[in-house]
Amino acid sequence: MRLTPHPTIYLLAALGLALAATLAACDGGAPAPRTSTAPGKSRTLVLGAYTTPREAYGKAIIPAFQRHWKEKTGEEVRFQESYLGSGAQARAIIGGFEADIAALSLEADVDQIAQAGLITNDWKAGAHQGMVSRSVVVLAVRPGNPKEVRDWDDLRRPGLAILTPNVRTSGGAMWNLCAMYGAALRGQTSAPKGDPAAAEKLLAEVLRNVGVMDKGARESILSFEKGVGDVAITYENEVLVGRQAGRPYEYVIPRSTILIENPIAVVDHYADKHGVRDLADAFVAFVRTPETQRVFADHGLRSIDEGVAKETAGRFAPVEDLFTIRNLGGWPEVRKTLFAPGAVYDRISAGLGARR
Amino acid sequence: MSGVRAAVAPGPGGILVRAGVFAYVGLLVALPLAALLATGLAPGLIALWQAVSAPAAADALVLTLTTANVMALINAVTGTATAWVLVRYDFRGRDLLSGLVDLPFAIPTLVTGVMLVLLFGPQSVIGGWLARQGTQVAYATPSILLALLFITVPFVVRAVEPVLMEQDPAEEEAARTLGAGTFTILRRILLPALAPAIISGTIRSYARALGEFGSIVVVSGNIPYKTLTAPIYVFGEIESGRAEVAAAVSAVLLAVALALTLAARVIERLAGVTRG
Repeated sequence: MRLTPHPTIYLLAALGLALAATLAACDGGAPAPRTSTAPGKSRTLVLGAYTTPREAYGKAIIPAFQRHWKEKTGEEVRFQESYLGSGAQARAIIGGFEADIAALSLEADVDQIAQAGLITNDWKAGAHQGMVSRSVVVLAVRPGNPKEVRDWDDLRRPGLAILTPNVRTSGGAMWNLCAMYGAALRGQTSAPKGDPAAAEKLLAEVLRNVGVMDKGARESILSFEKGVGDVAITYENEVLVGRQAGRPYEYVIPRSTILIENPIAVVDHYADKHGVRDLADAFVAFVRTPETQRVFADHGLRSIDEGVAKETAGRFAPVEDLFTIRNLGGWPEVRKTLFAPGAVYDRISAGLGARR
Repeated sequence: MSGVRAAVAPGPGGILVRAGVFAYVGLLVALPLAALLATGLAPGLIALWQAVSAPAAADALVLTLTTANVMALINAVTGTATAWVLVRYDFRGRDLLSGLVDLPFAIPTLVTGVMLVLLFGPQSVIGGWLARQGTQVAYATPSILLALLFITVPFVVRAVEPVLMEQDPAEEEAARTLGAGTFTILRRILLPALAPAIISGTIRSYARALGEFGSIVVVSGNIPYKTLTAPIYVFGEIESGRAEVAAAVSAVLLAVALALTLAARVIERLAGVTRG
């Protein structure tokens, strides 16, 4: 048999060469999905956010800002929105996803972008220290709370099935453990006040009851909705939104829990590059106005604006002992003591290794 | 396949084609692999060993290799049996069966995970019944095995099928007339002919299983030291900003998969020579 090149093979070869040429032409940065915009009349703002406020931004806040800006300046603003887990979004932005604005779950994630030199403004300078929304860590339970879960200590009860996401992949999981660890250190659980070893023991006993560690907070609550587990440690806003949508679960606020604060910042490097700094600044100011804060409240998030917080107080149960990440020494300290290799979380999960 | 080795010296067109294809495959496959290896090996071999032998990483690798082993053994038997039924029998629903065999390739593995949870989750009829018998499938090791078996169904079947078609049924009939039992026919006639195909199909399914992520992340529960497999461990390390650790563990998975794939090719080639 004689091997003659079939015409399609030339096509294939051409395809390969074209691909090679395309790859060579790329500048190496991660592809940023940008639509080309006519200069002057209409500009595009790129929002890189975490997943929780997706509906709030996409359905309400962005359209409102577009109207607001059009009325004020006559200019049309287009948006490109990207929603990822907070850590993944931070890494995407650092890796070359050219977001003009970063709206993330954890202050530490925005800090990472700043450390990469992409945020050069003093983003924590304003009245709200760079934050835009708040929530608390709560315990979602089955209707009627059949397992009688009232507080952190109940979670150490043998045989209870608990859901919390994977600390390695989820910012929400970090908030959950910080809430429990902080409550223990503050003497609000059976652990003596200021005793890190006792707090670690509480965490270990609770984590022993965790049978499913989902990728993120959203996946975790979805598993709970599918009937997995007796308790889900989660954000208050996830539960409130779920209940609005008619999901039949209840929730308990532990006596002592952590105040979750979500940051937003202009990514100077990209905003300047795209010539949208004024737009980006205006958007970040806009999301802190009372009108927008009310939208966040409708999506289950507590307000950073005092007036709106008072107005909506009836929708959010009070917390007896509310503390913040600063009470635990701030994110860099918490990362070191709780989540670094060989730290509390690693030690506990090594202790779970009963299989070997 | 064998025997068409370059019958003529390649002309200029042929050289261009080869260069083009080589560049295409090289850029698409080899370049990303090189990037991974460069990252994994950058901190040095000692760091790589430390990353891989860290208790959580080692445990995840062991779990992945163990479940893949069990899956491979089951696949070798059930895959061969399926191919046998598809080739040797003509029956209603044969095309349907053949189509079902290919289906796992077309289903996103994440969906596979969701299907398994729906089937075996605590709220389902089967899952609830199993729980009352004291067996947990979803969010436990059996679910990892089920997910792997599901996604690898086609490998052995499609490897064995063509060889079985070539195999003349007359040999089996002759053996039977001479008084050989089913077991003897299987041992003396079928298995020797089919073994290379069974082994190479099994190895390919094994290599595929090592990297499985989408279905397992949904179905297994992902508890470190219990149900956390290596690919999901890798994902966690990437997400928490430790790319070197992730690359090191990936490099191990990759090395095993690469060695196995090469072994499968060698076996196929040897079988090709003896058959031809």
